Amino acid sequence: MFGSYEFDWSSIPGSLNFLGQGLMVSLEITALAIVAGIVWGTLLAMARLSSIKPLAWAAAGYVNLFRAIPLVMVLLWFFLIVPKFLESFLGLPPGSDVRLASAMIGFALFESAYYAEIIRAGIQSVPKGQLAAAHALGMSYPQAMLHVVLPQAFRNMVPLLLTQAIILFQDTSLVYVSALADFFGAAYKVGDRDGRLVELVLFAGAVYFVLCFAASQAVRHFQKRLQGA
Amino acid sequence: MITIDKVSKHYGNFQVLTDCSTHVNKGEVVVVCGPSGSGKSTLIKCVNGLEPFQQGDIHVNGTSVGAPKTNLSKLRAHVGMVFQHFELFPHMTIRDNLGLAQIKVLKRDKDEAAEKGMYFLDRVGLKAHAHKFPGQLSGGQQQRVAIARALAMDPICMLFDEPTSALDPEMINEVLDVMTELAQEGMTMMCVTHEMGFAKRVAHRVIFMDHGKIVEDDSKEAFFANPRSERAQQFLAKILQH
Repeated sequence: MFGSYEFDWSSIPGSLNFLGQGLMVSLEITALAIVAGIVWGTLLAMARLSSIKPLAWAAAGYVNLFRAIPLVMVLLWFFLIVPKFLESFLGLPPGSDVRLASAMIGFALFESAYYAEIIRAGIQSVPKGQLAAAHALGMSYPQAMLHVVLPQAFRNMVPLLLTQAIILFQDTSLVYVSALADFFGAAYKVGDRDGRLVELVLFAGAVYFVLCFAASQAVRHFQKRLQGA
Repeated sequence: MITIDKVSKHYGNFQVLTDCSTHVNKGEVVVVCGPSGSGKSTLIKCVNGLEPFQQGDIHVNGTSVGAPKTNLSKLRAHVGMVFQHFELFPHMTIRDNLGLAQIKVLKRDKDEAAEKGMYFLDRVGLKAHAHKFPGQLSGGQQQRVAIARALAMDPICMLFDEPTSALDPEMINEVLDVMTELAQEGMTMMCVTHEMGFAKRVAHRVIFMDHGKIVEDDSKEAFFANPRSERAQQFLAKILQH
């Protein structure tokens, strides 16, 4: 069957601009989800390790919930529900394009559950004596976390956080369910328009591969340097 | 300076401290010894509230450690503590290790904190290492930095929790020398240690603990010449054999 298929890549060069814009959307979502995921994930991790039981339970519930639901479903909810909520909450005119914001929020909330677990392990990797020493010097809990525990935790976590960021970049392709023109969505649209879906999806796959492979090699290099130091 | 009054502590059903009472006067050096698991480290950690306790109370310079209203951070800022494993902050230079709490807790400005830090670093003989990271120093040097870090906070008393038991033998003396000097200057000190030579030379009083209880609390002369309890006699016989 593939023997008779004739590849035609001619629709790609003319669409590079559109595809490039799509790639920017993917990178934007990735960047925001990383930042929000780390900030919110850190708070969740600290809540989960807290001695205040209800706080720890709430954080554990959140993490377990989001880790047990497929990402594509979370994105669909945010595609169907959040735009309406944002419209009424921010007083936007009906039909405003809040798909990007919605996708970003969905992503950030989902990824923060994964980041929370990485960060929790990172915090636990710092010897308990460090917190005790910071307390013994008169530092409050927030001071001790901010200046003593978290800097060490993040240093231990850098390779894992970067690996998670690469996974996250790949996951952004799922926002095509919200008809948003991210890189994969853009490629799909071009392929659909020109009847060249096979070529475009192969091309998109190649681009994801090159970017992610290069990034993971960079992480490995970085990790080696970190261990060498 | 430090008054420990009928302190008891348990983890679940396990009793760690039972009815411990003692006191440390201003300028006094008290050595706490005893077999491992006797609760001596736990007791010293109760003094600055690092370990909570269920019964009794501890007063440091008139402030109750057990009272829920007490601002423990404020109290700890002026009670120096030195740990078995040094607990320097590995991601900071020695200079920043000495400066962090001065700046964040005592709100000193950077220059003042640096100056104070360097003064105490010089006193423990490590001024030349200010720019290094803790991992670049030997254990003995790290522990001396830890002492300098505590002293830079202008403590009213110092707590030592087995400061030499994680050190290689040839590094023990450099740390004990710093502690001896400190004691001779009149610093109020409570030291958990197995270094009986140090206790004989420097301590005013010796407390012996066993199974979470204070078994002996006596002047060092009385303790070494004539320990009253059988348990302390056995302990001393074992430890002084070498």
